[in-house]
Amino acid sequence: MMRRAQPWLGTLVDITLDSQAASEAVTAAFAKIARVHRLMSFHDSASDVARFNRAQAGAFVDVDPHTWNVLQLAAQVADACGDCFNLACASQLLEWAYLPAAMTPAPPFVPGARAFELDGIGRVRKTADAWIDLGGIAKGYAVDLAIESLQSHGVDSACVNAGGDLRVFGASAWPVSVRAADQPGAIGAQLALRNAALATSAHYFSAKRTPAGIMVSALIDGRSGQAVLARRSVSVRAASCAVADALTKVVMASGDAAHPCLEKFGAAAFII
Amino acid sequence: MHRPLHWVLVAAGAASVPALATQYLTAEQSQTVMFPEATAFRRQDIALSTPQMQQVEKLAGISSRSVNWRVVAALKGDQLIGYVVLDDVVGKFELISYAVGLNLDASVRQVEILTYRESHGGEIRNPAWRRQFVGKRAQGGIAVGEGIANISGATLSCTHITDGVRRIAAIAQVVLAK
Repeated sequence: MMRRAQPWLGTLVDITLDSQAASEAVTAAFAKIARVHRLMSFHDSASDVARFNRAQAGAFVDVDPHTWNVLQLAAQVADACGDCFNLACASQLLEWAYLPAAMTPAPPFVPGARAFELDGIGRVRKTADAWIDLGGIAKGYAVDLAIESLQSHGVDSACVNAGGDLRVFGASAWPVSVRAADQPGAIGAQLALRNAALATSAHYFSAKRTPAGIMVSALIDGRSGQAVLARRSVSVRAASCAVADALTKVVMASGDAAHPCLEKFGAAAFII
Repeated sequence: MHRPLHWVLVAAGAASVPALATQYLTAEQSQTVMFPEATAFRRQDIALSTPQMQQVEKLAGISSRSVNWRVVAALKGDQLIGYVVLDDVVGKFELISYAVGLNLDASVRQVEILTYRESHGGEIRNPAWRRQFVGKRAQGGIAVGEGIANISGATLSCTHITDGVRRIAAIAQVVLAK
């Protein structure tokens, strides 16, 4: 067994191989994750996300095909769940200091306003004066790219885990533990995962009180912009980790582990 | 340094929280992973002077924290090709050992996590508890990957590592860069 971890996407990304395979395969997989980090970082002024946020409403923004893929999936999930999942929550995350203060003030969150639309030739049009953050989906997408990279390097079994959003492949099942909802140091569920992704969301690490005395968390209902404060842990299993990652926010915001959106994406959820 | 008592403590600590401690690479393995072309590694620890510490703080925008730093020079034949700096950071719940590979111009080549330990019982804040692990191999405690499942859960931020890497990059620029 070989296990390595590097800090990317604001968390630790952990790659485990079942065998002592070539170190280069793991290094190449981390390079894919690094690429997603650079393209989709909220902080890095050269990222696609930062360029989108700086653009004027109505402008077209050229983005990398990977960023395009993530935006397309985000739009599909938003359509399927009535905007429970909404990338334009960045303004709320900034206001509550989950994202570092920016050079210019963020535009206020406007419920129901779509921040972007995609055209057929790889361009993104900014449709509202809003900022986006891909923190709720990019980790999952990065995991998917890393898995594909490992497979293309001939690795036959691996687990890639980006701070709790993970995906496994190989002939045998991988044991996965899910943190308990009210006690993150303890295990609340254990399962065996095979050729699938599992993502979990909960606010035990992010819930806090603002200086104004309001309880907030980094999980936001995309419809209202309100923090979700229910003490639950939501896990979603799907074929791809990007889908699993995004859908945890839908179940978190709706409180519905049988949300119709899940079936549309071939996913299943449980709440503990 | 390697007194028997030390390893007993590591084993006990690891046994109480098996799922929340992970050994990744040893320091030696991380050097080879980050500098596969190197033919030798030479320990070359540094001590920062007060003016150097001030420069580091100015560059990194955070405290330079320590005077002494664990540094390994990577060599290819007689030629110096880079450095590895070994460090530990403490978060709210986590104690993380990591290695930063640096090029000769002080740019960061790669970061590898060596060990990750998590505790929710407040031990993280206890220096005696931390000393069991800091700068040590987890040998006798946890083997690589042994019985440790992957954990799915809310994301724990790695701000402390990001800050730590920025601090080390500044140290490299002030002290090590050619």
